[in-house]
Amino acid sequence: MLAQLQASTPLHWLGRQLFNRNDPAAFFDPLLERIDPLLAQQTIRARIVSVTSETADTRTFVLRPANRWQGFRAGQHITLTLDIRGVRHTRTFSLSATPAQWQEHGTVSITVKRIKGGLVTGWMHDCLNVNDTVSVSEAFGEFEAPPVAESALYIVGGSGITPVLSHLETMAADGFHAPITVLYYVRTRQDIIASERLTALRAQWPALTLNIFTTDEAEPNQRLSDQQLDQVPDIAGRRFYLCGPTGLMDQATDLLYRRNVPEHRIQCTRFSTTAVALDSTSLGGTVQFAQSGQQAESLGDASLLDIAEASGLRPKHGCRMGICHQCSCRKTAGTVVNRLTGKTSGNGEEIIQLCVSVPTGTVSIDL
Amino acid sequence: MKRLIESQLSELQQDLDQIRNQVLADLGERDARYIRKIVHLHRSLEVGGRAMMPFGFIPPVFLAATGALGLSKIIENMEIGHNVMHGQYDWMNDPSLNSQTYEWDTACGGDSWRRTHNYEHHTYTNIIGKDRDYGYDLLRLSDDTPWRPAHLFQFTNYLLLSVFFQWGVGLNELDFKRLRNREITLKEKRPFLKEFFRKGGRQAFKDYVFFPLVTFPVAPVVLAGNVSANLMRNLWSSTVIFCGHFTQDAETFTEEECEGESKGHWYLRQLTGSSNFTGSRWVHLLSGHLSYQVEHHIFPDLPAHRYPEISEQVQAVCEKYGIHYNTGSFAKQYSTVLKRIAGYSLPDRLRTRLLPEFSAAPA
Repeated sequence: MLAQLQASTPLHWLGRQLFNRNDPAAFFDPLLERIDPLLAQQTIRARIVSVTSETADTRTFVLRPANRWQGFRAGQHITLTLDIRGVRHTRTFSLSATPAQWQEHGTVSITVKRIKGGLVTGWMHDCLNVNDTVSVSEAFGEFEAPPVAESALYIVGGSGITPVLSHLETMAADGFHAPITVLYYVRTRQDIIASERLTALRAQWPALTLNIFTTDEAEPNQRLSDQQLDQVPDIAGRRFYLCGPTGLMDQATDLLYRRNVPEHRIQCTRFSTTAVALDSTSLGGTVQFAQSGQQAESLGDASLLDIAEASGLRPKHGCRMGICHQCSCRKTAGTVVNRLTGKTSGNGEEIIQLCVSVPTGTVSIDL
Repeated sequence: MKRLIESQLSELQQDLDQIRNQVLADLGERDARYIRKIVHLHRSLEVGGRAMMPFGFIPPVFLAATGALGLSKIIENMEIGHNVMHGQYDWMNDPSLNSQTYEWDTACGGDSWRRTHNYEHHTYTNIIGKDRDYGYDLLRLSDDTPWRPAHLFQFTNYLLLSVFFQWGVGLNELDFKRLRNREITLKEKRPFLKEFFRKGGRQAFKDYVFFPLVTFPVAPVVLAGNVSANLMRNLWSSTVIFCGHFTQDAETFTEEECEGESKGHWYLRQLTGSSNFTGSRWVHLLSGHLSYQVEHHIFPDLPAHRYPEISEQVQAVCEKYGIHYNTGSFAKQYSTVLKRIAGYSLPDRLRTRLLPEFSAAPA
């Protein structure tokens, strides 16, 4: 964003001439970082101020972003970029603190559940310590807190509580009076995230009704059901906020639609769990070429370069054997198998060589 | 060239792929830390050199400033730019080290370089007529080109090319020879020329206009320092690159023998068409590890600082197949390059008498 703002100024033009890059200020990053990592210009850096355990597999990281970070509204997310064993990874996290905390202390929080087999969340739990720095994006997302005087129902699962905490604490601090009900689904009592903050909220904010359901413990009927919704007073007049894993979200929207709740009264933030590792023999799939709006189906071990050309695209390429990297291109989603190494890629954003990459399942390419 | 049958070629491919896969599996923190350390060194040298330059009216400061700036350009071109643009660090997913967007501190535009060097030179290495880097359409370096009297002056041409090397490399894609033979028109090359003037202009503006002007009272000193730093980089990179493919034993190939070649044959051609030179750690760093040209040509996209580590394994593979692993001291290798340039400037009869080692026609 900063780069776009500067792009037109004469100073930025001069910078490009002198340093051969579109973000000339970042030329000095290797020197500035030695003084203070937060001075870096290529990305906005944030320093870890504290790390606290919420549950056995959930931790809250408090971050202090560099001064030029522009703040956020309750319920928004940021992407976090960090280097793990030399490789840069980016993931999205909800901000679990209130905008008031940012204004008063200049800090924000993210609450991170360790995903089983998850590379990034695992690394954050094991290796990310106080005083380390990471890169953060500006805040984004449309999961906005309800307007004043509107009653609301939150249906929340697992670590989906994090952006909701930000909503609740903001509303409590602003003295909202309309009734707010939270149905919070967790596996066991040990999995309740931020239970102290939730208990404190319940104690000091009379408008809040908090019901916590444990889905894996003794009683069998604690999963989300129509009966549970029936017990929410005046449910028809409320706005609905859903945040949690896909299964719970699907079920909740289904129940609400059957109650004829109009779509515009439901706000949803889904997060998908990590994709199942694909069998590398199941080659082929749907390839989406984002820039050209093209889509193609492929069978067998056709490379992305062949598929693109068969779709009438003319991507830059060279040797067609994985040597020259002329065809390197950004994959935005999906997994591919590298023909040379036989290795399956991750499913996130990364640079791949089209001529030796074979899609497995749906893949999006920035082409 | 050493002849191998298809089954040997495919075995050669497996042996080399195995070395490559070992390194790929081990890429990580160490490589990231290495390249970031080099980038930090480059920034320190460039900022230091430019900051000292205005005080260059004091002779020792002039030497230090010019040396620092020259070294910074050498390190940026050889160990950072060349290697990053090969995709050696793409796996890091760092936009500053991305092969397709990196733009280096030299007159040749990154896109032109990626086409002529990464693709043409590295795919068609030493194939006469397909690899423009073999003599740059300017020098006669093998029997494949018939001798003409104009070749008598090619040693001067070589010296001029070395002095203005960044401009020579920048104009490589112009395809001067085909232009002269009217196989292509200047109009077809207009997009390239536009790109060349934009990037070349940017480089000239920076070193020869902007920095001298902002230090106006001492402009001549700054201009002289910047010219010297560029010259230093030009001479060194030209020398390193000439040692990579033009030493006595580096072989050339014909289009016919490479038609529809297998990956194994491509490997064999890289092994026999490239040459190394020995030296200290700093010599390797400043050459961008092109002192390990053989390793670089079989694995152009492995981080270059890994080449010394795999060199022994590559030599063992060469030995297994009876392939000559071309290496020697810098002085020895460079002297054979000079002999080749001088030798092929002479009519064939004279050359075979004076320099019998260059008499055998390439296989």
